[in-house]
Amino acid sequence: MTSALSIQDYTLDYVTSAGPVRVLHDISLQIGPGEVLGLVGESGSGKSSLAWALMRHLPGNAREVAGSLRLGDIDLQRLSPRELTRIRGRRLGMVFQDPSTSLNPTLTIGRQITEALIQHRGLKQRDADALAIDLLGHVDLNNPAAIMRRYPHEISGGEKQRVVIATAFGCQPDVILFDEPTTALDVITGARFLELFARLRRETGVAALYISHDLALVTRVADWVAVLERGRLVEQAPAADIFRAPRHANTRALVDAVPRPERRLVHDKPRDQVLLAASEIEVQYGSGGLFRDAPPPATKKIGLEIRGGEILGLVGESGSGKSSMARALTGLARFSGKISFDEHEIRGMRDMNAAYRRDVQIIFQHPDSSLNPRHRIDEILSRPLKLYGGQLGDIPSLLDQVRLPQSYANRWPHQLSGGEKQRIAIARAFAARPKLVICDEITAPLDVSVQAQIVELLLALREETGTAFLFITHDLNLIRQIAHRIAVMRRGEIVDLLPAEDFDADHVHPYTRELMAASPVPVG
Amino acid sequence: MRFSIGESAMTELLIRLMRRPQGFVGVALLALIVAACLFGPALAPYAPEKIDFLGRFRAPGWQNWLGADQFGRDVLSRLMVGARSTVPLAVIATFAGSAAGAIIGVGSAYLGGRTDEAIMRTNDAVMAIPGLLMALLLVSTLGNGSGNAVIAIAVAFAPGMARVTRSAALNVRNQDYVKAAIARGEGAPWIIFREMLPNVMAPIVIESTIRVSFAVMLFATLSFLGVGAQPPASEWGLMVADARQYMHQAPWGLIAPSAAIALTAIAFNLVGDGLRDALNPKDER
Repeated sequence: MTSALSIQDYTLDYVTSAGPVRVLHDISLQIGPGEVLGLVGESGSGKSSLAWALMRHLPGNAREVAGSLRLGDIDLQRLSPRELTRIRGRRLGMVFQDPSTSLNPTLTIGRQITEALIQHRGLKQRDADALAIDLLGHVDLNNPAAIMRRYPHEISGGEKQRVVIATAFGCQPDVILFDEPTTALDVITGARFLELFARLRRETGVAALYISHDLALVTRVADWVAVLERGRLVEQAPAADIFRAPRHANTRALVDAVPRPERRLVHDKPRDQVLLAASEIEVQYGSGGLFRDAPPPATKKIGLEIRGGEILGLVGESGSGKSSMARALTGLARFSGKISFDEHEIRGMRDMNAAYRRDVQIIFQHPDSSLNPRHRIDEILSRPLKLYGGQLGDIPSLLDQVRLPQSYANRWPHQLSGGEKQRIAIARAFAARPKLVICDEITAPLDVSVQAQIVELLLALREETGTAFLFITHDLNLIRQIAHRIAVMRRGEIVDLLPAEDFDADHVHPYTRELMAASPVPVG
Repeated sequence: MRFSIGESAMTELLIRLMRRPQGFVGVALLALIVAACLFGPALAPYAPEKIDFLGRFRAPGWQNWLGADQFGRDVLSRLMVGARSTVPLAVIATFAGSAAGAIIGVGSAYLGGRTDEAIMRTNDAVMAIPGLLMALLLVSTLGNGSGNAVIAIAVAFAPGMARVTRSAALNVRNQDYVKAAIARGEGAPWIIFREMLPNVMAPIVIESTIRVSFAVMLFATLSFLGVGAQPPASEWGLMVADARQYMHQAPWGLIAPSAAIALTAIAFNLVGDGLRDALNPKDER
């Protein structure tokens, strides 16, 4: 039996000014017809380069040193550009990471699907329209005919990814490449996407290469899992086995990094005294105009209490209002309601004095945008010290505190990796010696293994300083490991507020149960 | 100590600027112009106002390298001396206008909401007045002379720069590092000047280098209309205006100063392009 996709001894270099850099070493992979292969690795391990090589869309400085790439009986490396356009989409589909950039914002959804169908399946416009409506209905989109007329910005991220997958399946390819298709989606939307993929796969028998950094997730969708580390294939095994018996050290590290709710990382109790009490917090973006109503508030008069040294988790899908809450507490969004902090009462942004600003720090989700690209690390770290009283000589010790070398003080943010940037953001927050740190999805854009290191660091810093955390995330498994109490938000309301150990109990809100079901629990 | 750090950063910037061909050519041309501004009068073969009736409209040759004008004055000498009254003023006017516009634009983007609306609509109203008309209005109120022309041109340039800067600054305003600065309680001056402004420098630098050439032309126009430099000054714009009448008899009188203006514009554009790349810390190849 010939395999649907076969990679033989594939070696790839990128030519840089410092000489060639090898990104893939002797990769050999086979995907049989109807089989799904999961490819797991940290960022920078070369997974995406492999996907681009298969799509024949390598950057100009790439040099293929050895090996072959075959799709069924076709040698992909020998195709002319014209032959390639017939293969791409038609026989080899691709679903990208970010649905918001993979659709053209100036064309309607209908145009984009039918264009692919007309191009690859030679359909007439009318037949293509009918088929497109059929396909969109098949990926569980409500009212496909209406979706066809909409533009990408008029539908949600999850819907966009469904449109992309409908287009990919509509061309009936032999193999589809998935490059982290759920990373940009929240947990519940991601889980629905995976269900959809499993169903479509059963129906069409398509083979797939599923690339992800999340081992837990890959073991749920793939038959086989291959682990890539710095361009080398270190382990290949059936999905069911790899979690139970990882052989290679790197695989074991990936397995260990997957958060499991039953493995608690925090054992102490918070203090009794309440540090921050927020009540009736309502955040409203934009006001109504002459001819339109005001949009619904992002949070609907909700309250929270955080005790000294406590880790309070705040979970919910995107758009549930969790970040708005963080922005209200840090004075970044206008709000109504009352915050009392250390016996100090705050009713608006103007009441937040320097002491409050020092005591409550926020760390943002995207480390790339939370550090000013035109400031060196030492300048970034010097600001809180100058504002809140501290010595500039503390910068080396701040770097030590977040386990970074002191020489990093002279670097620019772009010279650091994502995890290192996040460490700098953490150091900046802790430079103020705060009493409460708000972490707004800080682990979401990071690899699972880096995420585990960041969480470990935060817990170590908490041990040293006794800081309380408001930890906003959509990763329920992670938050159940570390939080004392967890609040679940949905559409601007808190539907559940429970101690972490009560999550397995029966009295949880149905929405919380849904959220738990959507969180990928590792196999084995 | 501090000074030496600044100095080494400057040399580093210059090296990075010179590494690209367009940066190198731009810097070379600019050096030529600066030399003309500094040493022009000393190097010029004739005095700029030396009249030679026998040499009226003399074609370029060994006596007058770039020819002579209607009074027999040497065009090359007038260009070299005129650089001093043309280029620095244009640069100062552009710089002042760009700086004012950039601060208005970034400030407006930072403040947001109604304040932003008010500032930008006022800005639009000022922009609706044509630049030349604006400059004329100002000069006629303030009085003739080069200093007032500089102010007039700066005011005419500021609204356009404010708009360019604001559109770039709006993106930066939404970045988390600005939010982080607000959350830690930084003052408005720090956020505007240190957090936001460095990140919108690229469009400002490019826009202002292009505007230097407009400034030279605007000066010329003002001189032509009799409110800028006064004859017999050898300001380049004025030279173009004077030579216009004799275009068919002595095209060199027109071509030479026009070429000088164009060369200045090209030099600033090339340096602007080079600076944009060199100022970007991500560009370390």
